Amino acid sequence: MGEQKEGAQVIVVTSGKGGVGKTTTVANVSTSLAKMGYKIAVMDLDIGLKKLDLILGLENRVIYDIVQLIEGECTLKQALVKDKRFPELSMLPAAQTRNKDEIQPEQVKEICEQMRADFDYIFIDCPAGIEQGFRNAIIAADKAIVVTNPEISAVRDADRIIGMLESAGFTDIMLVVNRIQSEMVKKGDMLSIEDLMEHLCIELLGVVPEDKRVLISTNKGEPIILNEHSIAATAFNNIAARLTGKEIEFPTFEENSFWNKIRNLGRNLFPNK
Amino acid sequence: MIKIKGINNNLVVVFGEGSFDDYYAFLQERFNSNKQLFGGSRVVFKGEGLQLLNQQELSQLQRLCLDNGMILNNSEILLNKKAPEKNQERDTVIYRNVRSGQKIISEGSVLVWGDVHESAEIIAAQDIIVLGKLQGIAHAGYRGNLDSVVFALELSPSQIRIANKISRSADEPVQATGPEIAFWEDDNICIKEYRSRNNTGR
Repeated sequence: MGEQKEGAQVIVVTSGKGGVGKTTTVANVSTSLAKMGYKIAVMDLDIGLKKLDLILGLENRVIYDIVQLIEGECTLKQALVKDKRFPELSMLPAAQTRNKDEIQPEQVKEICEQMRADFDYIFIDCPAGIEQGFRNAIIAADKAIVVTNPEISAVRDADRIIGMLESAGFTDIMLVVNRIQSEMVKKGDMLSIEDLMEHLCIELLGVVPEDKRVLISTNKGEPIILNEHSIAATAFNNIAARLTGKEIEFPTFEENSFWNKIRNLGRNLFPNK
Repeated sequence: MIKIKGINNNLVVVFGEGSFDDYYAFLQERFNSNKQLFGGSRVVFKGEGLQLLNQQELSQLQRLCLDNGMILNNSEILLNKKAPEKNQERDTVIYRNVRSGQKIISEGSVLVWGDVHESAEIIAAQDIIVLGKLQGIAHAGYRGNLDSVVFALELSPSQIRIANKISRSADEPVQATGPEIAFWEDDNICIKEYRSRNNTGR
């Protein structure tokens, strides 16, 4: 057991509230790390409402799923789907026709322990809610990423989840704020990062600005980080880099002045300069 | 030990000296002896004897009334002004933030070194002291002790309850200026800027 722990870091991505961008975060951060050359596995535990395969564009390649793996119908190697674009990225799909009560936390833990040796990072896509699916998702994880949106309902749920993670013994809990709109923050219509940090009091891992291109790329099944013009892509790449221990400054989204926009436009048009 | 009287369409049960077991046996016997008389009547609990009961015992007595078809008509029952010896007063100290959905219950006072977030609950038989921001629900003196207070460096709870009184926050948030204390006075929950314990007039 101890030896296996030296392998992959297991990170659960959770939020409490649904629709805040857990799966998008998992898909993009894992792809970004795979692009850097790390060996990555992603595990979809949203059994019955799977989305990760869709967002990664791997739906057609799924043959076996995690419930079949647990029931012994296939081997781990058979169940893992490899991403052709990124050979370092593997996905363990969820079952769409089953539900979350059909697997037990201990079984998830066992699968994770089996996988640790072969990967650098294992991401677990946690379902929304605080029930069985949440318990299944957190049991094997060493660290947790809590995704939230700058709106009070999402923040309240994030607070609840952080409390539950703390009670479960997590000490490494990091926050990703997704879909922030600098214009609205500036007008005082949206919670700012400072407000969120003051309230939630955990380490900030990343801030992802609102970007329409995320939706487009999600529909296409291509992670947004493949789109170099996207500001969200930069943010996800920064999150991935921070996870590997690099220190990357947080861009100040608040200063989105006219000149900054021109500068960003220039950067996007001439990415090499 | 127990007297049952009819006053203003209420059946008033006056608890005199006695123990819980005595009360229970007595009421059970009386109710069973004449179900039709008691069924459907409105019941009020009164008397010194109530003070010595704990919450569970009171609930059991109330349950007994309900099971016999009676309607409980008490607006308030104050229990345990003198806490019985078996309820050991134990203070609770918490060295972290209390987050949404977490609930702290103490038979003594509660001291929080941190914030109490929205929709977190602190329930104490005595005082609640928050060395941080109090935004959740605070229930001081939950066993009926009206002398209990709620103190916070930043007092902006969604609700304050003292004993069986409830006060909710104003719809328009009021910017607190500093540490404040909430206490019971003249049938109201009052909030004052905190200077010292004497500030409350107690």
